[in-house]
Amino acid sequence: MTPISRRNFLKIAATSLLTASGAVGLGGLLRFIAYQSEQAPAIEFDLGPAANYPIGSRTIHPNIPAVLIHTESGFSAISLVCTHLGCTVETKDSGFSCPCHGSTYSKEGRLLSGPAVEDLDVWPVELKDNGRLLVRKTIVQPRG
Amino acid sequence: MPANQPSALRHAQDNTFDFRLFVAAGLLLFSLAFSGWVNSRTPKPLSLTPSLTGQPEYCLTCHADLPEISPAHPVQVFGCVTCHGGERLALDADMAHSSIRGGANPSDLTVVSQSCGGEKCHSGAAAAGRDHIQRVQTSLQSTYAGAIATIRFTFGAQPDLTARLAIAAVADDRIETETGLSALAVFDTSTEDNPSIQKFSQNCLACHLNAAPREGQTYARYTGCASCHAFAPAGAWNSQQTPIHTLSTAIPYSQCNTCHNRGNYDLRTMTFVERSDQPADRLHNYYQPIAQFTRCEYSLDCVDCHTRIETMGDGDLHSNKKEIQYIQCKTCHGTPTELPLTKTLSELDDIAFRQAFLNPILVLKAGEVILVTEQGEPLWNTRVLKDGTYQMIGKVTKQVFTFRPVKGSACTQTGANQASAYCHQCHAVKR
Repeated sequence: MTPISRRNFLKIAATSLLTASGAVGLGGLLRFIAYQSEQAPAIEFDLGPAANYPIGSRTIHPNIPAVLIHTESGFSAISLVCTHLGCTVETKDSGFSCPCHGSTYSKEGRLLSGPAVEDLDVWPVELKDNGRLLVRKTIVQPRG
Repeated sequence: MPANQPSALRHAQDNTFDFRLFVAAGLLLFSLAFSGWVNSRTPKPLSLTPSLTGQPEYCLTCHADLPEISPAHPVQVFGCVTCHGGERLALDADMAHSSIRGGANPSDLTVVSQSCGGEKCHSGAAAAGRDHIQRVQTSLQSTYAGAIATIRFTFGAQPDLTARLAIAAVADDRIETETGLSALAVFDTSTEDNPSIQKFSQNCLACHLNAAPREGQTYARYTGCASCHAFAPAGAWNSQQTPIHTLSTAIPYSQCNTCHNRGNYDLRTMTFVERSDQPADRLHNYYQPIAQFTRCEYSLDCVDCHTRIETMGDGDLHSNKKEIQYIQCKTCHGTPTELPLTKTLSELDDIAFRQAFLNPILVLKAGEVILVTEQGEPLWNTRVLKDGTYQMIGKVTKQVFTFRPVKGSACTQTGANQASAYCHQCHAVKR
């Protein structure tokens, strides 16, 4: 076996180290590129076919969170987020109540007792051409 | 390299270059590997985006084992940073805690406005009953003005018992009671000549809501809101290992005892003498500076009778606790000639409903009749029954106590003499 010269040994070792460094650095770079930041909360929700919600129905969608109401005058979505500090209200026979501080609202989302001082928000519900319902949390619909 | 350079020299220079390249490559790989190793030791962040702020926090990465602090402060809504401060995205403990408020106690009165304040939280309008912070900061439990005034008067430093000084300077621009004061200056002990007053200031100022707490983790939460509302399970109050992450309005007498029955002042030496007895029952463990008790005084917890205004203040600065503490026996029992004051709950916004909601020991309904104080504060844990008797439900024990009015009984005590000492003459139990 031919003895390796000092110079060649250094060359091979340096090349190996640089290759390994490149691999480690590339791994870090790929990890950096693949990083996914926190996703912003959704503001639009597809509630499926409108036919799933007969007139008179009140359907809770916990992921929004909102209750979809279908009346003779159309669809509306009442937010289930308490206007006091943002807890999710619970449905009761008389309407809604906040489990955090006790604010109560009517079935239409109107404030009955504090500490909240405002009604629950109402979001518009759009009936798309394909017959599906879409709720947008960006706009608060004025109450009639 | 010049062509005419001797080959031996060129060879040596090449070797040096190769050696340097080898070292540099080694250092580069070591640096990258070390960075990777450090990075691998960083915990995978556990993210929470509280609905109140909408900003992600990584605090639960290390603190997921803590219990929910109270049903009124769910972590999914408030997160951690709203109350505690801190660097919400830091994963290094020192960095994450570098800007934390109040250490283990974000309710310390030096930082309470940032931690617990806010119009919808605890520094809102007085009319809505949301001015907790303002009231506490002017309350006697915070100012200690009564004791300071009494000691200074006793040793000739002031001509009367009207308070002038407090643990911290405080002002009140809205005086609503006859005894309210506009401002109190800070009790500066360096300006006091009397040795007894100086000793008082050295030994007796560590036990009030606005005082610097005594050293040690045990005392870290004995300031601000936490003094009353944050407590460990019974029997563990002095454990340094017990994580206290609870806020409650169902405050047991044992929590009041941690300040009000921890010992007594020795007025001759002006020192605080720690309590040394180990009482085995509730009667002997109860508030001890008054020597006599009726049965209800030690069966009930302090908060069953003493109201939020009495304990947290009415928003005015006072000179003495007699100006703010007004619950007497007659508040619940009436006098030989008068029944106690009552109120029919009608408005859903009545604060009685809110108080009952926060400590759901009973379900209050509109139309129910409850007892009220002379100031109109609801004793929301009481009920007037149809047979003319009354019921009180223990806010901590949930025990139901039924009692009668004095009117119509054999009691001959006059209504004017209703301080506890008068009632104790006949009704005190033997200790």
